[in-house]
Amino acid sequence: MTSPGDFSRQSFLGPDSERTLAEARVAIVGLGGGGSHIAQQLAHAGVGHIALIDPQTIEASNLNRLIGATDADVIAQTAKVEIARRLINGLRPWINVEVAQTEWQAADHLLKTAHVVIGCLDGFRQRMYLESAARRFLLPYIDIGMDIAKVAEGHYSIAGQMIMTLPDGPCLRCLGFLKSEQLDQEENRYGAAGVNPQVVWTNGTLASLAVGAIVRLLCPWYPSVRDYEWLELDGNDQTVTPSRQPDYMPRGECEHYSDEEVGDPFFDLPSPEKTS
Amino acid sequence: MKIIFRATARFVKDVREDLERSHRFASERVGFISIKAASAPNRLLLIAERYHPVDDDDYLDDPSVGAMMGQEAIRKALNVALLQPVGMFHVHMHGHKGPPGFSRTDLTEQAHFVPDFFKVRKNRPHGAIVLSHDRATGRVWLNPDRVLDISEFNVVGWRYTFFEGLRSRLSRATTQ
Repeated sequence: MTSPGDFSRQSFLGPDSERTLAEARVAIVGLGGGGSHIAQQLAHAGVGHIALIDPQTIEASNLNRLIGATDADVIAQTAKVEIARRLINGLRPWINVEVAQTEWQAADHLLKTAHVVIGCLDGFRQRMYLESAARRFLLPYIDIGMDIAKVAEGHYSIAGQMIMTLPDGPCLRCLGFLKSEQLDQEENRYGAAGVNPQVVWTNGTLASLAVGAIVRLLCPWYPSVRDYEWLELDGNDQTVTPSRQPDYMPRGECEHYSDEEVGDPFFDLPSPEKTS
Repeated sequence: MKIIFRATARFVKDVREDLERSHRFASERVGFISIKAASAPNRLLLIAERYHPVDDDDYLDDPSVGAMMGQEAIRKALNVALLQPVGMFHVHMHGHKGPPGFSRTDLTEQAHFVPDFFKVRKNRPHGAIVLSHDRATGRVWLNPDRVLDISEFNVVGWRYTFFEGLRSRLSRATTQ
């Protein structure tokens, strides 16, 4: 693939970085405040194949953070994946963008063949399910999310995280990010989650951390080896630090996923006429 | 159809380390990788699941080739595919960097034993892979008569690498 454009300002990523990024396939699940930022940055960085999955159309309340969206999109109820596609191809028309305006479970063909899956989802269970799918197809999974909590009258706490897990490393449950009690509580209040506060600057910070993790994965600019990354954003102090929570978790082989739980359990070879 | 072979970096490292061990008479080692699969439109994903080294005693002493498996090695590999829903890929390694190629002997031998795996597990792809120190080349059988080149290899780790597989037309040209 050719990647027309001047990437000289990021040439420190290596002599093959332009080609590597142009050939990379990244799937973004959730094109709201976080995912739209990520789509934009991947396009700037020159990632050549981007899959976008989100069932929703834009609403007026999304305009405070959804990158690329316009007032006309709100009136037209444009699909979020189409807004992101327009944003990406407006920056770099040569980028191959595949979109699925559906739940990600109905678009798993876009996940299987990606190199990296990014989840920008609400809810703990959805995160667990998406990470399960990523591990089934042996993919790195990157999760971003934020929360704003009222801790006292006139006092709010903004916090967020960017976590990258690898298929043979600790999962979100091993790290202590997903806990049984959270999953159970969420299941019990299903359908009554209320309004989830979101702001553009925190989404942008977390998205930048995710894009940095992807570029470092594909085109490392310094030597390092780890088996996961969990960065915590303190949105009040505006600081980012590695989470200490995994330090307090038992370590060892992941007990939640096994090496055998990969691939499509219902796989059957396609018929010869479909394999030409 | 695009064929993608995906394994973790740790898995590939372990396979390379095993294949680099010396043998008392064979000059190379061989093994099998069992795979699970998934498909997408016009794509087939092969996911490395487990490595099965060929036991020391299952090599034949044949100085004309780097390594010659005995019938017991094949029987053990067939048994894995019989008992588990996996495809089986023969694997060996060439000790250099850059894209490796199958030798004429490799291609001939593969044509003999790979189709046998369809007798025990017909609905899974089977094949053969040759590794170098940093690249790989592979062929996949979708049925006993239909062979395709592996288009792309993904090595998934903290450093994620992906690269094109060498086309078998080229691999014949680089016969060693």
